[in-house]
Amino acid sequence: MEGEALKNRIEEIRNEKGMLQEELAKALGVSRQTISSLENGRYNPSIGLAYKVAKLFGMAIEDVFIFEEE
Amino acid sequence: MVYNNKKLLLSVLWILAGAALLVLSITEVLKEAVYAGMGGALVAVGVLQVVRNLRYRKDEEYKEKVDTEVNDERMSFLRMKSWSWTGYLMILIEGIGVIVALVLGQRTIQLVLSYSVCLILVIYWISYLVLSRKY
Repeated sequence: MEGEALKNRIEEIRNEKGMLQEELAKALGVSRQTISSLENGRYNPSIGLAYKVAKLFGMAIEDVFIFEEE
Repeated sequence: MVYNNKKLLLSVLWILAGAALLVLSITEVLKEAVYAGMGGALVAVGVLQVVRNLRYRKDEEYKEKVDTEVNDERMSFLRMKSWSWTGYLMILIEGIGVIVALVLGQRTIQLVLSYSVCLILVIYWISYLVLSRKY
């Protein structure tokens, strides 16, 4: 949507946990390119994948994904 | 599971159908060369699918790679997006083709392309109708 953006802290949290993109991808059952695209903000995940990411990090979805309205 | 027994059976059927076409073509029961080509292509596709199927069953790493590729939501999104672009570009290209054929006086090509654009649009509307009822 225009004026809206979904940002995320996946790269930051992944680095804090000392995980590689490969490891995160394997844990989520997706490709490494998907993780890379998510981190760069080129691809927005489905609610299901967002939930899986948050659950894996032991956080709430809104702590990982930030919805910004301009 | 991407490759199962049903798909293996289907691959074997492709091989058998291709081999039948090849034999009929070699024995000149079917005269046109296109049947031999079709037969060869069917055998090649069938063999390739059988090899992939067997590798999927035996090689855990390959199985994981294939499963990830098929189930990865970004890849599904890319596949859908690519089909969407393909359809859209096809209509544009055919539309330009209709105009070019009209200018060049190629009536048959113009008609074929026009009907093709109409058919694509009808398929789009039907797909939209079906999908809007489903989702």
